[in-house]
Amino acid sequence: MEQKSVLVVDDEPIVRESLQDWLEDAGYQVAVAESGEEALKIIEKQDFSVMVLDIRLPGKSGMTVLKEVKAQRPWLKSIIITAYPSAETTDEAKKLGAIDYLIKPVIPDDLERLIRETIESVGREPTVTAKVEIRPKPPVVEVVEVKKAFVITTESLKSLVESLAEEMEVVGVKSRHGKYVYDRIASFDELCLDYDVTLMPPTKYLLPAKETLLRFKVGDGSKVEPVIEQLPRAIIGIHPYDIKAIELLDEVFMTTNPDPNYIARRQNTIIIGVDCLNPSPKSFAPCMGTSLTETGFDLLLTDISAAYMVTVGSEKGASLLERYAEVREPTGDEIAKQKAARDEALTKYKLSLDVPKERLPKLLEESYDDPYWESRSETCLSCGSCVMVCPTCFCFDVKDEVSLNLKEGERYRQWDGCMLGDFAKVATGENFRHDKASRLRHRIYRKGKYILERYGKVGCVGCGRCAIACLADIASPLEAFNAIAESAKIKETARRIIREVRLETELYVPRLAELVNVEELTPREKVFEFKFKDREELGHKPGQFVEVSVMGIGEAPISISSSPTRDGTFQLAIRKVGNVTNALHSMEKGAIVGIRGPFGNGFPLSALEGKDVLLIAGGIGLFPLRSLVQYVVDRRSSFGRVILLFGARSPAERLFLGELAAWSQSPEIEFHETVDKGDENWKGNVGVITTLIPKVDFDPRKTMAVVVGPPIMYRFVIGELKKKGLPDEQIIMSLERRMKCGVGKCGHCQINSVYVCQEGPVFTLAQLRNLREAV
Amino acid sequence: MTGKKVNVHQVTRVEGHGNIILNAQNGNIKELRWEVTESPRLFEAMLRGRSYQDAAFIASRICGICSIAHTTASIQATEAAFGIQPSEQTLLLRKLLYNAEMLESHVLHVLFLAAPDFLEVDSVFPLVETHRDVVLMALRLKKLAYNLAELLAGRKTHPISCIVGGFAKLPDLGELKAIRNRIEGALADFEAIVGLAKTFNIPDFARETEYICLKHPEEYAFILGDICSSDAGITPVSEYLSVTNEFCVPHSTAKYTKNKRDSYMVGALARFNNNYEQLLPRAKQTAEELGLKAPCHNPFMITVAQLVECFHVAEHSLSLIAQIVARGLEEEDNPVKVRAGRGVGAVEAPRGVLFHDYTYDKRGILTEANCIIPTNQNHNNIQKDFEALVPQILDKPQDEIRHTLEMVVRAYDPCISCSAHSLKVNFK
Amino acid sequence: MKPKVAFFDFTSCEGCQLDVLNVEAELLDLLAAVDIVNFREVKTEREENYDIAFIEGSISRESEIPRLQKIRNQAKVVVALGACACIGGVNCLKNSLLMAEALRIVYQDDARYYDTMPARPIDAVVPVDYYVRGCPISTEEFLKVTKSLLLGKKPEIPNYPVCVECKMAGNVCVFERGMFCLGPVIRAGCNAICITSGRYCWGCRGLVDDPNVDSEKDILKKYGLTVDQVTERFKIFNAYQEVAK
Repeated sequence: MEQKSVLVVDDEPIVRESLQDWLEDAGYQVAVAESGEEALKIIEKQDFSVMVLDIRLPGKSGMTVLKEVKAQRPWLKSIIITAYPSAETTDEAKKLGAIDYLIKPVIPDDLERLIRETIESVGREPTVTAKVEIRPKPPVVEVVEVKKAFVITTESLKSLVESLAEEMEVVGVKSRHGKYVYDRIASFDELCLDYDVTLMPPTKYLLPAKETLLRFKVGDGSKVEPVIEQLPRAIIGIHPYDIKAIELLDEVFMTTNPDPNYIARRQNTIIIGVDCLNPSPKSFAPCMGTSLTETGFDLLLTDISAAYMVTVGSEKGASLLERYAEVREPTGDEIAKQKAARDEALTKYKLSLDVPKERLPKLLEESYDDPYWESRSETCLSCGSCVMVCPTCFCFDVKDEVSLNLKEGERYRQWDGCMLGDFAKVATGENFRHDKASRLRHRIYRKGKYILERYGKVGCVGCGRCAIACLADIASPLEAFNAIAESAKIKETARRIIREVRLETELYVPRLAELVNVEELTPREKVFEFKFKDREELGHKPGQFVEVSVMGIGEAPISISSSPTRDGTFQLAIRKVGNVTNALHSMEKGAIVGIRGPFGNGFPLSALEGKDVLLIAGGIGLFPLRSLVQYVVDRRSSFGRVILLFGARSPAERLFLGELAAWSQSPEIEFHETVDKGDENWKGNVGVITTLIPKVDFDPRKTMAVVVGPPIMYRFVIGELKKKGLPDEQIIMSLERRMKCGVGKCGHCQINSVYVCQEGPVFTLAQLRNLREAV
Repeated sequence: MTGKKVNVHQVTRVEGHGNIILNAQNGNIKELRWEVTESPRLFEAMLRGRSYQDAAFIASRICGICSIAHTTASIQATEAAFGIQPSEQTLLLRKLLYNAEMLESHVLHVLFLAAPDFLEVDSVFPLVETHRDVVLMALRLKKLAYNLAELLAGRKTHPISCIVGGFAKLPDLGELKAIRNRIEGALADFEAIVGLAKTFNIPDFARETEYICLKHPEEYAFILGDICSSDAGITPVSEYLSVTNEFCVPHSTAKYTKNKRDSYMVGALARFNNNYEQLLPRAKQTAEELGLKAPCHNPFMITVAQLVECFHVAEHSLSLIAQIVARGLEEEDNPVKVRAGRGVGAVEAPRGVLFHDYTYDKRGILTEANCIIPTNQNHNNIQKDFEALVPQILDKPQDEIRHTLEMVVRAYDPCISCSAHSLKVNFK
Repeated sequence: MKPKVAFFDFTSCEGCQLDVLNVEAELLDLLAAVDIVNFREVKTEREENYDIAFIEGSISRESEIPRLQKIRNQAKVVVALGACACIGGVNCLKNSLLMAEALRIVYQDDARYYDTMPARPIDAVVPVDYYVRGCPISTEEFLKVTKSLLLGKKPEIPNYPVCVECKMAGNVCVFERGMFCLGPVIRAGCNAICITSGRYCWGCRGLVDDPNVDSEKDILKKYGLTVDQVTERFKIFNAYQEVAK
């Protein structure tokens, strides 16, 4: 399926044509249908990201079309357009899975934005290519010329600050124990605008060390509510490198999966920057192109001795000057002074980068096995100081806390960091980045490569804070870059303002679902069947996962074990491993949990359709694979041969006995099963699952293999599949990592440059060949 | 009269471990002992070899209730050894911090440890149902003391900011001002407790003994002053050994003391007896209301004396805060000049006078340390009280005797785990 | 049925138990959530039938061992309360002196009356289920562990160093102020309170699971400290670990 594909269903030709034109111009692939019947025929043959549907159609009504489309492609998102909105129809449409509705005549901008946001919130299928495509960033920026510079006296600046202080909280740079910190200022005189660097970056105001995301009540009257702080605040004294860091955070938190907590803070923050004229000896901002900035601030001050030059960076900034300050046009002399001050500041930097910074990504890619990582990290204390003080670090952890009566509580997030020992540890105890060398390498790769490639913004702003904070003196990315490189220097320019983003508060709020059935598979595995309280369907694709919340205990990622073609409910098969899964296992019918998602890309159905499929499940690998097996069974005619291999450790550990029996008896499925070790009653194959593969004949030219199982199984199964001549692009796997937020923000699920919750968990072997940490 | 046996293993509602043994046959007392069984913790040996920067931090761990007392005594000993005179600001802050602990300790003892006996319940927990207001009040007062200590030293149990020469971090003046209201509220709460205390049935018993505490010319002494004995007058703190005269007994891991008589008492009643005149007005008023007059020889009235001191401490704290606010707070640079020397620090812990005696070498490392704990000084007195009291109550039911003896122990508000060690310094 | 909870103490200063009472207003909520059946310091009656035992203090005498074992046999869950119980604490300072020597110093000729042995944390004697660390404990952490026990959830205690919380609190690093600090190898959970109050970390919460102690020692040497100075401060709470290495 083409990622940006839209089906427009409307009986009015003028609507169809104008929307098609407009959307194709915006880069979408568009198909049109003039009736419900035509739409359904098209959908049978082709999948789309989004359907735009007129609710009033001749013949099959819009509602019926919606229902039938849901049965065919349950994950297809729909946007309703109607000239006659009414509460009942829109409610019903939403219950049938419509994302939103727009009233005719439709404003193309609104429609395009809605389509764009919808597409972004859905996971991507892996294209069967060798490289994982990080989703391309849609343009958030518009290039606008707003800047203008004026001269402001210190007195006028003082009165500006004091006026601000009457309206909102004002924080700025002040001194503490001979160092500099951001804190509330009681008076203008406390400000130290000529500082070198602060201990902690101003990003702590946009992403605080600890913040409540949700409040909840459990038991009767279960309720979950988002908590969003919107305290207006002005921050004074931000250096350009920190402004650049904020621009990065804006990109991270305001575009894909917009984060309501960040957005609320950001929209309520006034940024008054200050040129850095006394850099810290450990700073290397010019190397990263962040010693100066033309964007990202409302106002920017430059000290020109007798007064300040103030550059306007936004309309907000312009209106501040208008309301609270006396400014005048600068003289030619003063403009020259500003330039001279900046030029002089540049000479004060002592450090340099030995390659052009644009070369860093490629350079890092080639240095994966450099012995530098091992030797450098030997003295690392895993103390976390470097990540805590870094303005471009934003990984976080999420936890639940309850009151003593156990009836209410809150879910909060707090700073976390990939340099801490347990960052990549999962509930089973496995730690995917357990040694310091790999953690250090990952951090440097984030700063020099991954962030730039994913977000288009520099990942390290050269502030030098980590170099200052690190007791073992190993943290500076500059030293790391230089250690693996040669010399040059370049600067970067960009202008941008942030478009108004709608504040959607639901990103972290789980939807309540009821447990309608529980079945024990083995003593530590059960299958749970859930139904949403508001009757909406999950609308998932096979291979996706959800985040399951037991409010007060926590939230855990669980693969979906049932196909979306089986409507009404969805099933999660769960092994008892940690806090959340333990709590789930003690639940009975009627219990309420929270569900977020579905997340992840799911299995690549369009790549599988029309081919022979070889499905291989090892042990609880059957949990996610089952969703695909059921889908294939339900859509049997779309596939060629269907071969299913299942291996369990012992007969007692076989799962879904009823279905295993049905599959083994079905004439449409070639089913083979084995156990590692038999028992006295076992009559079937004995041996590891790889022993089944040689027995199966398939044509590698038209077979797609989908393999899910424990990590150790992959290596051997893939070996056998390669022996049979199956190309890397035709071997598909699902990987496990610690998915915490599910929306590509908290950082825990990273494998090198990809976020498993966004670009995965399903990958082709070809893609994994380029992800070194995936082995 | 038949045999009366009392064998209380680990008395409850006291800090630390101690046993009461009584064995009487036909009016003859065969065995009567107050046994201290606390595991010796050997703090003096632990302090040896420590830097002056860490000494107070370790000494604080002698006791969880009076950690501020130990910290202060320790710091004063070090300051005496180095010849450092703390600034006026430091003294004001120290006294205020000290008051916080005095308040908390007395509230804990009066309401949590002693009151249940007088209200005939097993502990404070059932009071949640029957006297919820009293419990809430007790919690409120403890919270006030806790917050005041936090404000000044970072934490109440095992304070953090206290250093030789002053404080590592100064409190926020705004918060100090704000806490005044709560201290005034505390005075109202104390009135309520006085009302409750009036209903207590306090046993009538008297045994005169020697009373020892600190005395200061200008105020009711807590952290400054010389040693004052009701029998022998004033002795400088540096000569404390001539007053304490420690000795060992086989049935106690804590040492005992005596001065002019067989035993002596320290604590709230000793302070009340010796320094009554210096109590602030409301405290004196309360004493009168509760029928406490100096000198009083009834150990059961120690609890009442503590309640009287609560009023004093609250009033005194308000005055201290007013002084601090008027002076303002200034960061003081207090570089510590280390030198060889010996110093003694003495404070009135809630339970009585406490001594820390330190000897340093020229690097600022401790070579000798000696601590004499208030409860050490009371153990002998408890024993003598037993010996005087038991004959008077031997005809009562066994259970009542046991309970009364327990109440004697509790009356002293003993801090037994602190007392389980002391050191006889050997001057070579 | 409210779970039955008991508090015990061995060789300790009793500060941790008293801090349980310092949970202030939440004490009433606590009393509503559990049944405190045994708490020598606060009540006389005691029940021998309890589910959860909170134990403060280290083991420093032979006579304490059978008492501890009895508690372990009775309780379903044993929680070590405070540094003395969790890692040995200050009581272990005496271990490095020869036992006899220590007694002689303290009790002189009367030393023959007293028995004592090297102090140790309670998990050196019986298995322990959970730990509430620190000297004293943090009442917040105590409540967190209690709530987790009530929820049937494993308490989420940090396994990262104090530096993380120190930075979150916005503190100037102690090393930049001419002092030294054990924070980089000590387990967080205290909100770096000692540094925020103007001092440094003494390590009362014990080491993280995988501390790079050699690196810490090197760093401290880099700042002009001798190995002895460093070890001396480390031993204040962690003497038992030091010996065990």
